[in-house]
Amino acid sequence: MAWEYSDKTKQLFMDAVQGKPGTHLGEIENADGVGEHGSIVCGDALKFTFRVRRAENPLDDVITEAKYLTFGCTSAIAASEALCALIEGKGLTPIQALRIRNQDIVEYLEGLPQQKIHCSVMGAEALEAAVVDWAAKRGVDLAAAGVKLSGEKADEDGRIVCKCFAITEPYLRRKIRELHLRTVDDVTAALKAGGMCGACRYAPGGIQDILNDIWPDACATCPSGGACPASAAPAEPSPFQIAKKIESALETDVRPALRRDGGDLELVDIKGWKVYVSLKGHCATCLGASHTLQLLVERTLKDAVDSRIEVIPV
Amino acid sequence: MNPTAPLVYADHNATTPVAPEVVEAMLPWLRSGYFNPSSMYEPALRAAHAVRDARAAVAAFVGAADPSEILFTSCATESNNTALFGVAAANPSRRHIVTSAVEHPAILEVCRELERRGCEITRLPVDRQGRIATADYVRALRPDTLLVTLMMANNETGVAWPVGDWARIAKATDPSIVFHTDATQAAGKLPIDLSGDLRHVDLLSFSGHKMNAPKGIGVLYIRRGTALRPYLYGGHQESGRRGGTENVPYIAGLARACELAKAHAADLPALAARRDALEADLLHLIPYAEVNGRGAPRTPNTLNLSFHYVEGEAILYALNAQGICASTGSACSSGSLEPSHVLRAMDIPFTAMHGSLRLSFGLSNPQSDYDRIRDVLPPIIADLRRLSPYWDQKTNAPRPR
Ligand SMILES: Cc1ncc(COP(=O)(O)O)c(C=O)c1O
Ligand code: FES
Repeated sequence: MAWEYSDKTKQLFMDAVQGKPGTHLGEIENADGVGEHGSIVCGDALKFTFRVRRAENPLDDVITEAKYLTFGCTSAIAASEALCALIEGKGLTPIQALRIRNQDIVEYLEGLPQQKIHCSVMGAEALEAAVVDWAAKRGVDLAAAGVKLSGEKADEDGRIVCKCFAITEPYLRRKIRELHLRTVDDVTAALKAGGMCGACRYAPGGIQDILNDIWPDACATCPSGGACPASAAPAEPSPFQIAKKIESALETDVRPALRRDGGDLELVDIKGWKVYVSLKGHCATCLGASHTLQLLVERTLKDAVDSRIEVIPV
Repeated sequence: MNPTAPLVYADHNATTPVAPEVVEAMLPWLRSGYFNPSSMYEPALRAAHAVRDARAAVAAFVGAADPSEILFTSCATESNNTALFGVAAANPSRRHIVTSAVEHPAILEVCRELERRGCEITRLPVDRQGRIATADYVRALRPDTLLVTLMMANNETGVAWPVGDWARIAKATDPSIVFHTDATQAAGKLPIDLSGDLRHVDLLSFSGHKMNAPKGIGVLYIRRGTALRPYLYGGHQESGRRGGTENVPYIAGLARACELAKAHAADLPALAARRDALEADLLHLIPYAEVNGRGAPRTPNTLNLSFHYVEGEAILYALNAQGICASTGSACSSGSLEPSHVLRAMDIPFTAMHGSLRLSFGLSNPQSDYDRIRDVLPPIIADLRRLSPYWDQKTNAPRPR
């Protein structure tokens, strides 16, 4: 998919990459607010820092400087630059800065392709985290100041189970029932949840736990007590005795001869009367060995085990 | 865009420029030779002969015993669909298919659909270098195995597999197993000899646009005697195996491309040498870089790199601004929010997964193209790392976390 970025987005990205003066690349040392969002696993991450001019009353602190470090695609980097430009030098208090939403970032960028909107969300989330950090450092009670964080909003909508795809528990529960998803793989295939870093698959409260909760363990309540055929291993098609005989014939009649020449042989598989062997060491690089081996091993096994045996070198 | 520098096209695994000779071979059939090869007059007969000659040229290119084994399709995707659905329809008593985790979607999605229709699919895993363990493959074959489909070379990493050997093992296990290979990334880059080392392969797909023919023409090789139901029902064309009036100009163009590929086979080692030199230079110039699939045999034109702690889409954009065309497996480029299934199957560390860059060359790239990339790429990676919260500028290494 080719880029459909606005000229503004392209310009901000190139300025940042080339480190033009006036861009907000970097990290403020001893910053008053530090916020991070995303992770390298997901493919984007942003570290956002700002400095304030401290006032008597922390609520009157004004943001004077904002910087970012971003791991991400073209639009993630441009969105980080946009975020800083929207905040810095506008006389905003940290709480006023929170009014900047991802839509403002999108507008500043003169639009973003639909599939890139999450890049602007990341900026807004990092800003929020930085403001929370500032509030903690300055002893500001955000809730008392009337600030509603989007993290709390997420709680209303439900706990996020899969962070990579921002998938909530109520949504997962509804879909698992609707689509009759039974295993974690089913869930990943149908809903993507668990398909990126995998951290949410077996974590406490993760996808497996939710599945266990929705579909109580059938085997645990089954009267057979786990002794039913469904829980037993599938029957082995190649009889154990044949395999044993083949192994011992190879060990006594074939391997010594090969080892004398600096080679060896590995038994890879047995299917019915077909025996798959692989040459090792010196024999593996010797041209013509595979043919000789096939004849030698096949004759030995036909004699020692069964005349129907066929040897396949692999 | 840098308007002064010439375009560097390093994305030949996506598609290739149409060779001028191919255009020349097509033009007569677009201009005055527009006739339907099935019609009953002299000019139409010439069109029919063009298709016949083209079929023979393509057969010679892949070492087919007989031109009738060549089926013309519209693309590799159609060839793959025809092969897989056609084999499944012709053998309803068997339901098991062996494939790999790293096939192109034109195989993976067909397998997923066959799964919905009741087939059972074994998807073989790969190691860190993109290789399949032969023992895994052998163990996957079952008494009810219908089909094996494993690609000859991977589109993302260029890793090439010994499909000829695997086909031999399949046939020795059970002659009824049908062996298919998607050779889309091999055609023109690796030898294809269906009478030689690939003599146990039953079905082989490839596409014109990956080998200097235009988009819209593909091939499915069908070894004589392979049971296959048609995929496109219609007229009697292609011996009743695919309805639809023959695409005469494109068929003629593809045949010319096959002849050219054959003639240029001797240049492939030089292609590999240029790639290898660039690879060595980049690994030398860029810290925390690795080559995906380096430990396996690869097609001579493909170089898949991962740069830790940078994001691939941003690399592509910065290259694009310098007039260099390449591709990435990063999530941000695919629109799917997920990084490449191939790199994930290879278990590339997540710090490098998003920073992959695929450079794929053609014989028409001059040495100066490789030199441009060697000069331009290292500063781009350094610039993006300067932006990255995971990179420490002072030590020029990842930040301790
Ligand atoms: C390995 C492989 N198979 C199939 C295809 C699909 O080819 P086409 O676009 O001709 O259908 C591609 C193209 O990217 C490919 O690389
Ligand atoms: S949290 Fe990473 S895949 Fe769900």
